[in-house]
This record gives sequence, structure tokens and C-alpha cells, in this order.
Amino acid sequence: MSGAGASAVTKEDLVMNHLVRLSYREELSPNLDRFVDGLLEGKLVGQRCPSCARMYVPSKGYCPLCVVAMDESEAVEVAQVGTVTAFTVITPVPYYGQQQVDPFVYASVLLDGVDTPITGQDITGIPHEQVRSGLRVRAVWKPVEERDVSHISNRGWGGLDSVISSFEATGEPDASEDSYEEYAL
Amino acid sequence: MCSTQGVTEPRASESTLEFPYMRTTGPVIGPFLRALAQRKILGVRDRQGRVVVPPVEYDPQTGEALGEEMVEVGPEGTVEAWTWVAEPLEKHPLDRPFAFALVRPDGADTAMVHAVDAGDVAVMTTGMRVAARFSEEPAGRITDLAAWEPVRS
Amino acid sequence: MTVTDIAVVGVAQSASVRRSRLSEAQILVPTIAAAIEQAGIDRREVGFTCSGSCDYLTGGPFAFVSNLEAAGAWPPIAESHVEADGAFALYEAWVRLQEGDIDVALAFGSGKSSPSQPSEVWAQQLDPYFLAPLGLDPPSLAGLQARAVLDAGLATERDFAEVVARSRRNAAGNPHAQLRTPVDVEALLSQPYVRDPLRRHDLPPISDGAAAVVLARGDRARQLCERPAWIKGFDHRVEEHLPGLRDLTRSASTSLAAAKAGYDGGPLDVAEVSATFSPQEGILVRALGLDGDVAVNPSGGPLAANPVMAVGLVRIIEAATRIMDGQAQRALAHVTAGPLLQQNLVCYMEGEQ
Repeated sequence: MSGAGASAVTKEDLVMNHLVRLSYREELSPNLDRFVDGLLEGKLVGQRCPSCARMYVPSKGYCPLCVVAMDESEAVEVAQVGTVTAFTVITPVPYYGQQQVDPFVYASVLLDGVDTPITGQDITGIPHEQVRSGLRVRAVWKPVEERDVSHISNRGWGGLDSVISSFEATGEPDASEDSYEEYAL
Repeated sequence: MCSTQGVTEPRASESTLEFPYMRTTGPVIGPFLRALAQRKILGVRDRQGRVVVPPVEYDPQTGEALGEEMVEVGPEGTVEAWTWVAEPLEKHPLDRPFAFALVRPDGADTAMVHAVDAGDVAVMTTGMRVAARFSEEPAGRITDLAAWEPVRS
Repeated sequence: MTVTDIAVVGVAQSASVRRSRLSEAQILVPTIAAAIEQAGIDRREVGFTCSGSCDYLTGGPFAFVSNLEAAGAWPPIAESHVEADGAFALYEAWVRLQEGDIDVALAFGSGKSSPSQPSEVWAQQLDPYFLAPLGLDPPSLAGLQARAVLDAGLATERDFAEVVARSRRNAAGNPHAQLRTPVDVEALLSQPYVRDPLRRHDLPPISDGAAAVVLARGDRARQLCERPAWIKGFDHRVEEHLPGLRDLTRSASTSLAAAKAGYDGGPLDVAEVSATFSPQEGILVRALGLDGDVAVNPSGGPLAANPVMAVGLVRIIEAATRIMDGQAQRALAHVTAGPLLQQNLVCYMEGEQ
């Protein structure tokens, strides 16, 4: 027979679905564990680099710029107000795993005194079209009994929205550009 | 730290990642999978004249394209190597103890990996004869060959 | 291009543990720092960095980017990543050094297997049409290979257990190893099969760990290290993927890689081989033509510590270390990738004459 497939072959005949499904269970690193302890108490806890004094929230347990490991002694509670440094409004398109339906804000928030913006945050209290860089915002916490930290992992992204539902506009005047221009993302 | 019944253990994250792939099967593997659904096993003849099962698109020795001549093999074969799986994993093709084996179908010059549904490890020997058991609900996958079964002599 | 003089001048490895709470990057931070410190350089002297890891292990897409932070990626550095063992990253760094415009390169590998189920993850490196849908796990594949070795009369189950017993004896002196308790061959043989004819001890441990190597070229290597481990040859070869297309009792690509690496079969002081399952040690010893005088896996080998994506680089470190500390003059390291020794790398090193 011909290996090139006879003309009766349909496209579906030549396609094979293959779902790869992998499961993981990973203990949180000590630095992330402290961050999660803080979240459950309504606190944002980071780590300050002993070398360059940059503040990381959440911390990876080391300063990627100085390549210095940080320990418990460098853990610090930080402010819950900050500035939107960058944002977009996403109109969801359907793809595998996508659960959003309506347009949503995806903003980076730089907390006061912190050097690492928290990405992917919802902004509330003002219409989407008024969200802007420089906007001053504060964390809106879910009630203690509704806080879910199970989506927070060592991967370093995602899961915060199960604890902090959004950041809402404070009504303060906007922050000056030079206060956040080094933290665009 | 989360505390469960007085035992303190590190907090852990649990997650599942899914990657849904849709693969085209091409001019050699496609016919092989379609034939399995029709209860036939196909090999491909390589440049040395050997029948390679499962069929490959390129000659393992020379890299030349293959697929001009597909050859039906089996439906019986010979076990060339085997290992017994006493406690199958969730993703294994059988949910009772079985053997993974290299089985050379009659008429083929190579062996293919698949399950042997032997029931008991005592049945397994290198050189034993087995016959293909095909799925009642073919899906265009290698598991349309459900398993090999010992041939009762 | 001619092969210039390139040597291992700094090495470090983390302890291998069953489960680390640290991220891969956190494990790497002190490991890379230690390799750079041993080399006696400032990290800014590193002209090229190459890393090896596998994002499937922790399930973190682009996890290798964070790992790079452990090498100090600011100010920006020249780097590359291989989705493979750090030994293949070292190979790339060795090739890069031969360009002649830089003197120092860094390679590292890291793997944290504890979050995943290795039986699930490693099925993903298999052919997706014929093998992966069967849920073929590494121990099952290794069981087929073990059976082929037994049926060919090349070894017995007792031989397998003796490989393990020697691994544990050697590992007792290796502070980085994970399984360091001596075991009795008779006791091992009384254990049940996991994948008949393999017992649990014939399988490697599941490990978390990392390793790093600093390479230097020519005179810079001589300045940095009293006794550099000169890489005389470095090669890797691959063969058919499907197990039924190969003779599983042999490793033709290992033999070829050794020949291409310039290993002439002469006397060796040490050989570190990636025998991840106990029957593979004999296969590799035969493929490399090692005689009885060679110390094979004096570290304990992968059966005593198996931080995948670093375990191959550890073989090179263990071999190089014995040259650097004066114990050995000629050393060979073997690294494998893919199912059942599909791809094999050989790094052949010598001390200063």
C-alpha cells in the first residue's frame, strides 16, 4: 500500500489528541512561607537585601542583583499602599484553561518602600478607562475566612488574588513619574 | 506553617499542569494507527529490507525517508524482553498486574514495547508466544492494540 | 577549528537530598558562588555562562530564567540554556571557549525532582505516538533492559545488587551523596521486585540538587589552578530512540563518543559513569572497555545521588576533582540522556604531565 495515505483519508484521521497532565506538590520555600503567614494576618512581608538594601515582595530568598542569599533576619513588613506603574486592560479570548469572560485590568503595583512591583493586579474604585500609571492604590483584603493561599507557589507568580481581591484607588493625587519610572513593569 | 492535628509540617502548594496537544500523525504513523483501529499491525520496510515495527518515517541507519512499503505483521508475536509491573500506575494501559514487554510481531524484524496481559508473572518467559488483543473502542491511538495476551498452546 | 587547552578550574555541588524546601535558584546561589570562589575569580570575569535544567521538574514555565539569576545576570551577561543535564551545558561552554576571545566560562545544572512524580514527567521525553501513551515510566524501561542483560548472560541479579552495595560503600565517604548507608547483598536480594527483575535498590533515588563548573583556557587556567583538569576530549553521540530498534545490552553511542573524545582505551585512574539503574553500569563498563583496575564511580554514582540535570555534571566534577587534588592523572566521565542510554557524552580529562 502507499505510505502517503490514500485520498479517502480525512484530516481527522491524521490527527491524534494527546493531553499531557502533570501533578505537583511542592513545599513553600521558607521566605515564601513567611510571606503567606503574613497574608493570612493581613500583612505584606518581604525581605531587604543586606547588600544593596532593595526590598523584595514577595522575596525569592536571594537578591538577584547582588546574588546574595537572604534569611529570616531580613524579613520586613511593608506598606499596603502604592502606585500603579504599568497596566493593560485585557479582553479575554477563549483558550484552553481561560476562565475570564469580561475585560479586566492587569496592573503592576509598586508598594511604597518596595523595589519589586506586584504584577497582574485588578484595580477597582474607578472605571477601567481611568486606570493610569501613577494612580495611587491600596490593597483590598478578602475577609480572613475567605483568604485562600493554596494557589501561591514557589513559581513566584499568581495566587495573590485569592487573598487580596484588588487594589482600589485611594483618591490621593497621582505619584510623580520619577517615583516609579525605574520600575516600569 | 499549617498545623494538622498537632502535627506541624511545611505548607505546600499543589497544582496540575495540562498541555493539550493535537498532533498530526503523518504519512507513516497515520496509516499504522488507522490500521490498528482495523485490527491490523503494520510495519515499514527499511532500506536493508527489514520490517520495522512500529513503523518509523526515516531509516534508522541511513536517515532516508521510508513509507513506500507498509507490511502487515502479526497478529501473533514473540516476547524478546519483559518486566513485571506488580502495581500498575494510573497512566499504565492496564489496571491489574501486567508485563511491559518488547514483542516482535511475526513477520517483523524489530520488537515494539507494549503491555502483555498475562495475569501472573509465573506465565512470563522470554520467547513466549503472544497474540494481539485489540480495543473494542478504537480511538486512533497505540492503545487500540489493547495488549498482547499469552497464546495457550 | 583546533581544540585549544581548556581545563576545569573550579567545581562545586550541593548536597543531594530527597526533598529541599529551597527553590532551584536558591540551591544554585551558594553552589555557583562556591565554584567561582574555588576558581579564584570575580564572577564578572566569566565570559560565557551556560545552564542546564528542565522546567517540567518543578512545573514552573521558564524556571530556567530565575535559575540564571543565581549566576548574577546583572549587569547583562552572555548566556545560553540547554534543556538538558548541566554536562551538556558544559559541553556548550567548552565549544564557546574555543572561539578564543574569552578565557573563562561557567556551566551549571540544577534539578528539583521532589515536587513532581518522576514517572509522569519522564514519560514526556518519550516518543508521543508509540511510547508516551503507554505511561512508560523509567523503571519499566530499565526493567526491559535488565531482562535483556540477564537473558544475554552478561550479568545476574546478584551482580546488580553488588553494584548497589559498592555504590553505597563508596558514597559513605561522599558528603554530597544521599544514600550513604552500607547494605548487604543478601539482604538486597531478599527484597521484592519493583519491576521484575529490578528491586527498589536497583533504581536511583529521587533527589534535589545542583552543581557548577568553571572552565578556563590556556595560561589563565594555569594561573587559576595549581593542577587543572585538562579536557583532552569531549564528545556526545545519540542513537535510535525506540528501544526495539537497539541492542539494549550494548551502548554503541557511548563507545563512539569515547573514541571521538580521544579516549584510547589506555589505563584510567577513575571513571565516573551515569549508571542510573544498576544493570547499566556493566553495559557502560563494557562499552568504554574499562578494565578491573579502574575505580568506577568512587563517589557512589547516580545510584547514591540522582539530582537529574545536575547528576551528569557531577560525574565530570567527581572525575575532575580527583585530578585537581592529585589522586588521578587520567579520568573519564560519562553522562547520559534520553531513555535507556539513548544519548551519551564522554569527557576525557588528564592532569598536567
